[in-house]
Amino acid sequence: MFKNYLKIAVRSISKNKTYSFINIGGLALGLTVAMLIGLWIHDEKTFNTNFKNHDHIAQVLVNKTNNGEIRTRFTLPYPLAAELRSVYAGDFKYVVMSSFPGDNVLSFKEKNQNQYGAYMEKDALRLFSFTMLKGNHNALNDPNAIVLSASAANALFGNEEPIGKTMRLNDNFVVTVKGVFEDLPTNANVFEPLAAFSESKKLDFIAPWDLYVSMYEWVKTARDRKLWDNNSYQVYVAVSNQSTIEAVSHKIKNTLYDHVPDETKRSNPEIFLHPMKDWHLKSSFKNGLSYGGAIQYVRMFGIIGVFVLLLACINFMNLSTARSQKRAKEVGIRKTVGSNKNQLIEQFLFESLLVTCCAFAIACTLVVLLLPLFNQLADKQILFPYANPLFWCIGLGLISVTSLLAGSYPALYLSSFRPVRVLKGTIQAGKSAVSFRKVLVVVQFIVSIILVSGTMVVNQQIQHSKNRPIGYNKNGLIMIEKTTEAFEGKYNVLREAFKKSGAVAEMAESSNPMTEVWNSNGGYDWEGKNPDFITNIVNFYVSHDYGKTVGWEVKFGRNFSRDLASDSTAYILNEAAVEYMGLQDPVDKTIRWYDGEHKVIGVVKNMLTESPFEPVKQAIYSINYNETNWINLKLSPEKSITQSLEKIETEFAIFAPSIPFEFQFVDNAFGHKFKAEERMRKLSGIFSVLAIFISCLGLFGLSTFMAERRTKEIGIRKVLGASIMSLFKMLSRDFVLLVLFSGLIAIPVAYYVMQQWLENYTYHISIPWWVFGVAILSVMFIALFTISYQAARAAIVNPVKSLRTQ
Amino acid sequence: MLLQLKNIFKWVNSGGQRIFLLKDVNLEVSEGEFISIMGPSGSGKSTLLNVIGMLDGFDEGEYHFLDESVHSLKEKHRSNLYKEYIGFVFQSYHLLDDLTVKENLEMPLLYKKYGSSERKAKVADMLDRFNIVGKKDLFPAQLSGGQQQLVGIARALISNPKLILADEPTGNLNSKQGEEIMELFKKLNDEGVTIIQVTHSEKNAAYGSRIINLLDGRMV
Ligand SMILES: Nc1ncnc2c1ncn2[C@@H]1O[C@H](COP(=O)(O)OP(=O)(O)OP(=O)(O)O)[C@@H](O)[C@H]1O
Ligand SMILES: [Mg+2]
Repeated sequence: MFKNYLKIAVRSISKNKTYSFINIGGLALGLTVAMLIGLWIHDEKTFNTNFKNHDHIAQVLVNKTNNGEIRTRFTLPYPLAAELRSVYAGDFKYVVMSSFPGDNVLSFKEKNQNQYGAYMEKDALRLFSFTMLKGNHNALNDPNAIVLSASAANALFGNEEPIGKTMRLNDNFVVTVKGVFEDLPTNANVFEPLAAFSESKKLDFIAPWDLYVSMYEWVKTARDRKLWDNNSYQVYVAVSNQSTIEAVSHKIKNTLYDHVPDETKRSNPEIFLHPMKDWHLKSSFKNGLSYGGAIQYVRMFGIIGVFVLLLACINFMNLSTARSQKRAKEVGIRKTVGSNKNQLIEQFLFESLLVTCCAFAIACTLVVLLLPLFNQLADKQILFPYANPLFWCIGLGLISVTSLLAGSYPALYLSSFRPVRVLKGTIQAGKSAVSFRKVLVVVQFIVSIILVSGTMVVNQQIQHSKNRPIGYNKNGLIMIEKTTEAFEGKYNVLREAFKKSGAVAEMAESSNPMTEVWNSNGGYDWEGKNPDFITNIVNFYVSHDYGKTVGWEVKFGRNFSRDLASDSTAYILNEAAVEYMGLQDPVDKTIRWYDGEHKVIGVVKNMLTESPFEPVKQAIYSINYNETNWINLKLSPEKSITQSLEKIETEFAIFAPSIPFEFQFVDNAFGHKFKAEERMRKLSGIFSVLAIFISCLGLFGLSTFMAERRTKEIGIRKVLGASIMSLFKMLSRDFVLLVLFSGLIAIPVAYYVMQQWLENYTYHISIPWWVFGVAILSVMFIALFTISYQAARAAIVNPVKSLRTQ
Repeated sequence: MLLQLKNIFKWVNSGGQRIFLLKDVNLEVSEGEFISIMGPSGSGKSTLLNVIGMLDGFDEGEYHFLDESVHSLKEKHRSNLYKEYIGFVFQSYHLLDDLTVKENLEMPLLYKKYGSSERKAKVADMLDRFNIVGKKDLFPAQLSGGQQQLVGIARALISNPKLILADEPTGNLNSKQGEEIMELFKKLNDEGVTIIQVTHSEKNAAYGSRIINLLDGRMV
């Protein structure tokens, strides 16, 4: 019997090539999209689950309330870790203090490499349960040890045995390799996005905490003097097996408050534990509470995936039902030769199962082929889950549900009729079947219109933020991080040499890179300040030539000048700071800080150094050659960029021969800030195209059947004198109305969803109404184009021909 | 007795009015009979044949088929009864376009769950009997009307029905082809198969042993 079904199915598939292509291809495409999104979501959801103990690991964060606003921070004072360890010994398995991760220079013989890592207390390896390829979890016990990732070890030592090798760290310290850990999977990171600053990189090394203490005087001071008020460290914990993160988090919340000086108590610092499973997905905080993060995209794309799959299934059902009219005769004949109802149901379900399986197989192939491209787009390294039983179970479920949905209508509806009725053709397209199909088409267009308008809104938002004035000139501006002491005290010599080479128009140094903010301080005072107002202002320590180098715009007053010795204590404010402090005529006003009085000599326009989606923070610029971390170079406009870079590299090598020359274009670094949004735009763009394409496939199939069914009517109308144009109108009017109706429903939904998304950004557009007009019109245009082929063909055909076929 | 219709009424409601398609039809058919149903167009011939063939229901009356009361049977049971005893031949053949001659013939056997070898034997026998062995791998569209109707009859006969119902089997054929089909029916009837046919032609009707005339759904 099944052989007979198979034969019929295969023949009707190969006989109706267009139909089969549309039907199978459309479903396969939908399944492909759903699978890709599913894999992506799985990857996101399993972030950090590679760590054995991941549901017991957390980072200690702190909520501080300043002027009624709660901010969440990850920076903590030195003595906190020890305090937690001793007071709550039973609640924690490990408490580990860590420096901020960053690039450090690792050197072995002639090789110098920038590697990303951090300094951590010795339990770090145990806390994260690193898989040690060489050495063991005691590797950090020796203060002159270092532990490398497999890839870092390979980069430095090649095939040589790394264990026991001595190497230099930041050109100053000799360390011995004591362990090699397996590279972390791409969807894992021991640093929260919050703590890793903007781009989180792969962890290459961990060095012992004691080394960190001996490296920096200020760390030592913080340790020896038990400074509860210096927040420069992060703390990771693993709660004990019998505890939960939540319980411990609640228990420890006042630990910081109880020890900080009274002045700091005013900001009511409350510590809590941020579970590792949330580090990636829920990394944003608003008013002290978790507020999304990557989870938003997971949800959004999850919904898109479900919708695209829904579209494809709808199509499949739609076409199957449209076609089942054609199969009515077969049903009738089969009944007259002795088939009973169940056998017919069996046959139709079998057929739709067959088609669905084909589509699934094609989709799997497509996913395998497209994964490299998708990975690139989504910045992932996802593999096809051949060996994952869950994947195949879900696949099986999808296949059964889809084939049941698509096959049930013809199976149940047609097989229930008395054979005479089907044979006579009197059940041709019941009214309910037609309106059901219209509903399906409307749903498809709603989804398409939402996706199209959504993509446009994302695009607008990105453009809007990109066009925002940034307050400085990023053209030809590069920045180099001063990873070692090699440059200390050589500012003037270096500047002269660079300028003399002709490659650099101006050079300056600064504490912060152009695209991030690294430090802010409180404790400022000025005339007219409300004594209850707790200040927090971003600090930029810069060299004299900073303004000229970055090209900031002085609004009032003047730039720093080398000629005036008093400028070494002068302040330049940005506009935001003037507003924040409420100063009238700020120039020449005095601002007091711990270290004395400072005169304001100028005000500059706001420079966009953080998120392009947030307002610029209040900032103070002051001269300090000792606290700078970055060299900023303005390339000479007379030379080509490659020429200039070559010259700079030559000069650089003279001053710091053992340090790799690494730099960033400010332009690129700035562009990075849009990465998540750009990715979202790309993906939603692709998904909208796919959604429209799938909908159009369905529409095309449907219009084919409509036109076919009305061939006779069209023939008669033509004989009676109808013009081709009027026939075309008659055939396409329905579809146009459907698209308009879909738009009516889609607009409020799209508006609501996109408004929600935009709320994430303080600096955002208000959704322009033309977006919806354009979306509807373009979808309508594509829809019309799709059906016009069939409509035109039916309208043009010679009536004698079409009448004879009846 | 093969079948018996008692006071059969069939109607449709249209615009609040009841239109009778069959009115008080009483009919007894014994095994081995060859009956021709005649009457003007629209008189209800096809309707009556479909009712007899259980392809269509009726609204009032009793229908007994081999001691079973068809009017009170469940759909499934009726379908089995039908499958077992009745073969249908249509004016427009109603072959499945996607199946070859051989496969069309095989279809009723599949539904009756015959084994593979038995099916092959029966199909071969039918092809031979109707002289269409050479056509067995062709699709219906590749056959002439007369040949298609031969396949239709062969398909109706393949599961050895007691009763053949034919609705204007020669309606789409020329007179020579029609005559051949009638000869075939005659022969089958001689072999013991009961036949009820609908026809417009006096000449075809003459092949039968009895003629029933319908007028406006009523036997006259
Ligand atoms: N579903 C229906 N609804 C309304 N009227 C119907 C229906 N089916 C059949 N009729 C009517 O019943 C009458 C008998 O139809 P039937 O097909 O039995 O005629 P017939 O005698 O076979 O005619 P012909 O010789 O043209 O085939 C016709 O008047 C037809 O219009
Ligand atoms: Mg008739």
